[in-house]
Amino acid sequence: MNESMMGKELTALVIGGGPAGIEAALKIACGGYRVVLVEKESEPGGLLRKLYSSFPRWENPSDRIGWMVDDLKRNKQIEISLESTVESVARTDNGFNVTLKNTATGGARTIDVQAVVLATGFGLMDLSAYGEYGHGIYPGVLNSLEFEERLREWSRGLGKAPKAVALIQCVGSRDRSKGYPYCSKVCCMYSAKQAGVVKDLFPEAKVYVFYIDCRAAGKGYEEFLREVIEKKHVRYVRGRPAKVLPDGGRLLVRAEDTLIGIPVEFTADVVVLAAAVVPHPETAALAKMFGAPVDEYGFIDHDLRSHAKCADRVFFAGGCGFAVDTESALSQGAAAAAEVIALFNGNG
Amino acid sequence: MDTDFYTPMRLDEVESPLQDEVEKALGIDIETCMECGKCSGGCSNAHIFDFTPRKVVQLIRLGAEETLLTMDALWVCLSCQLCVDRCPSGIDIPRIMDYLREKALREGYRPSRPAVVLFYELMCSCVERRGRVSEAPLMLRFNVLTGQYLKDLTLGIRMFLKGKLPLTAGKVKKMDEVRTLFVSWHRRSVKRG
Repeated sequence: MNESMMGKELTALVIGGGPAGIEAALKIACGGYRVVLVEKESEPGGLLRKLYSSFPRWENPSDRIGWMVDDLKRNKQIEISLESTVESVARTDNGFNVTLKNTATGGARTIDVQAVVLATGFGLMDLSAYGEYGHGIYPGVLNSLEFEERLREWSRGLGKAPKAVALIQCVGSRDRSKGYPYCSKVCCMYSAKQAGVVKDLFPEAKVYVFYIDCRAAGKGYEEFLREVIEKKHVRYVRGRPAKVLPDGGRLLVRAEDTLIGIPVEFTADVVVLAAAVVPHPETAALAKMFGAPVDEYGFIDHDLRSHAKCADRVFFAGGCGFAVDTESALSQGAAAAAEVIALFNGNG
Repeated sequence: MDTDFYTPMRLDEVESPLQDEVEKALGIDIETCMECGKCSGGCSNAHIFDFTPRKVVQLIRLGAEETLLTMDALWVCLSCQLCVDRCPSGIDIPRIMDYLREKALREGYRPSRPAVVLFYELMCSCVERRGRVSEAPLMLRFNVLTGQYLKDLTLGIRMFLKGKLPLTAGKVKKMDEVRTLFVSWHRRSVKRG
């Protein structure tokens, strides 16, 4: 360990200002080190900023992100660099020379950092591969993020009240023929949440969730799901729909109720597709710059000895590693921060 | 269909090599089915199937050979390919149906829809003779043999008057190659039950 490692002038670069990145930045700052937080959007908050309600407690995600961003902005140890991306990286003896580019002004600057936390989050797959569901063709077919926006509009009294809503699970996920054999992990719970919100806003609406398996493994998750079914009267049908057809301005969903074994049809105003969770395309490029491995889908792979580490002085948290819910993103952000602090303290 | 739904199937006593057979003969791995039912939701004939495509796959896994070879679905499946097109695991159900139909005939099971079998046979003999299907003679023969003398008559005449229904179709050029196909088919031919 050299002298510079002993001082408190060490800086960590956190890439991504979602819950995982913010948590990592806050905790590293708590440890007494400096942080530069890079966010490509014009405000921090990431995906969480786009969500309406949350599981398992029906909280408003904007509240939580609001507190976190306040803490972030108040913290003197943290410099927030908005509308910025990483342009290039050069590894040095004890860290990296990182060039940041401001996407608004086009200006660039180079900073010295001694550790990096990748927290670039996740997105949803492009649904054009599913012609049978008509996303991008029928205006009533939305992916789950677009539906969060719709829920927000409905909650403000905007838009036409729906008579019926169908939520389709595992669109992309668990579909090896489309290249996504994995379970996206968060869709079961957020779909239950979305279905519950629709019933809260429009108690008369018929809300059906088409599922293959309900995966509610988490503290309070199963209870949340049962509440949606038993108290809010959302109906669950076991079967992956085969087709969405236009039906006089509405949408006809065709499926098999696989528990009874009969074909079923459901006419809806809105069909929500729980699309597979995928990493952002830039994550793999970024990982490559820092010498971190990615898996076949472009998610970051961890080091053998630590779940938060992916290369020397490079750590990661949240959705860039795999689909995560908010709680896991926060835990992973804290874990990455612990690794950075341990490294800076000379014990990493 | 003679299945008694309420008599438990003794899983430990089932000995059907059907799943292995399907894997060996067709290269289809039944284990990849997660029973999501997407095949059956879009099936063009599921409403008249006694066992939906998903159930057919599951019956293979259960080894319920008797049920599979006597079921009605075998003879009302159109092989329209919608199921395999949408299957997340790419399980070729129409290919399995073909295999089961052949097996049912070979083993002497009485098909629930003899007319379907008759149609297959007439179509094959048509192809055997001319290398292609000529619709008018095929439909005429089928309708006469099934006693539906007037069926399709109005439509047939209208199509004929518009020149859409030639009474004969020419032969294909390489009839000898078609014959070779049929010779090998007859050689491993099926005993019709």
